[in-house]
Amino acid sequence: MDEMQKIQYAANSYYNRGLEMAKERNLSGAARFLKRALQFNKYHTDARNLLGLIFYEMGETSDALIQWVISINLQPDGNRADYYLDEVQRKPGQLEIASQMVKKFNQALFYAQNDSDDLAVLQLKRIVDEKPNFVKAHLLLALLYMEHGDYTKAGKSLFKVLQIDNNNEKATRYMEYVKSRTGKAEVEKRKMKNAFSHREMQDDDVILPPTYKENTGWQSIINIGIGLVLGAVMVVFLIMPARERTLNYEHNQEMQSYTDKLNLANQETDKLKLQVEDYQKQKEDAEGQLNDLKGDSGSTVNQYAALAKILDAYRKGDTNTAVLTYVDMDQSKITDDGSVVILNEIKADMDANAPAVLMAAAVQSNSVGDYDTALRYYEKYMEFNDKNPEVIYNMGMVYKAKGDTDNANQMFGQVIMNFADSEFAEKAKEERGY
Amino acid sequence: MINFEEEIERFKPSLEVEAVSDAIVKSDLTDMADIMMDIMKDIKKEK
Repeated sequence: MDEMQKIQYAANSYYNRGLEMAKERNLSGAARFLKRALQFNKYHTDARNLLGLIFYEMGETSDALIQWVISINLQPDGNRADYYLDEVQRKPGQLEIASQMVKKFNQALFYAQNDSDDLAVLQLKRIVDEKPNFVKAHLLLALLYMEHGDYTKAGKSLFKVLQIDNNNEKATRYMEYVKSRTGKAEVEKRKMKNAFSHREMQDDDVILPPTYKENTGWQSIINIGIGLVLGAVMVVFLIMPARERTLNYEHNQEMQSYTDKLNLANQETDKLKLQVEDYQKQKEDAEGQLNDLKGDSGSTVNQYAALAKILDAYRKGDTNTAVLTYVDMDQSKITDDGSVVILNEIKADMDANAPAVLMAAAVQSNSVGDYDTALRYYEKYMEFNDKNPEVIYNMGMVYKAKGDTDNANQMFGQVIMNFADSEFAEKAKEERGY
Repeated sequence: MINFEEEIERFKPSLEVEAVSDAIVKSDLTDMADIMMDIMKDIKKEK
């Protein structure tokens, strides 16, 4: 027999022993042997499947799933684990319930380990109601009952554990302790002693019938009344406070969760509000810039529009429009090389033609009483030619017509001083009253 | 005598269903047969 064969035989032996124990409902013992069998041969599918089944029976669904999934991976065909997995997953919500049970148990354990025994007991009672084969939950519940001196309830929980796993080491140990506290150990001991120490009945032995005492009607009513009062006291002092604490705890958790969500939502809202304000400001700025571009007569766009208007006027032979548009435009805004060349050509033409047009426009404005426009045209004229005494004299006359004597006299003074030989010097002197 | 504090600390949280896939990945599946095969390979190399 080679070494590999010996290993297979060892694995089989452990599996057989495990199977035997499982049939006797010694589940924890069987699990130990099956784990040992798998340490010898990981491909022992029956051992692995049975181990999973034992975990499942003891309420440890996750551990069962691990074994069955590994089993399927190691032997994909003809594997009973396929059926087990299918059973667990097929019933709708079963896996979810199992998941919830485990979470609740872990929470109960946390309560128990952090001195919240009453909460732990409530949680565990719910768990074992919904999942009566959850061995670990029964054991923890029993331990909590024992700690609080409730040995009868502890005994009931332990009894359920031993029904599932009849040689559970922890349950056996706890049960011995519970029996020693309730006096059952003594009773059992006496029974055992009596079973092996009975004697034959003698002729003169008398069998006394057990006494029977009938309760009267009043006694029954009083007993029922006492029972009701005790029940009410139990509800008020034991069940209600614990229930209230649980509800408060759950309520606080829920409130906390909602508060967190609300805070997050508020933060998000504030952030969005800031973004909206920012975008609104950007929009207003952009609109303002657009309006400036549209409305500002000095804007670059409008200067190019004026240049186009001048060229159009030239094309139509309308020199007046060309000149009046030219004198109002801001030439510094025209910067690109092509347009500057055109502008220079226009400028040369304007030097020759603009003064006459401006003079005519000023005279016309003056004649209809539009003195400000007349003055503006005269000033534009002066930009082309400031040595014409007629224009300066005319400006003086416009100021005079406006009632602006100071500026009028200044204009007349300029004519008298700078153009003394001209005919307008005499007129200016008359205006000044010389 | 059962010491409640000691006993309660012996209880460990149950494995949650969501953690099953992680547990499977981390499972050490080395068995005695694997170990034996490794030993036999080592012996052959030495020869």
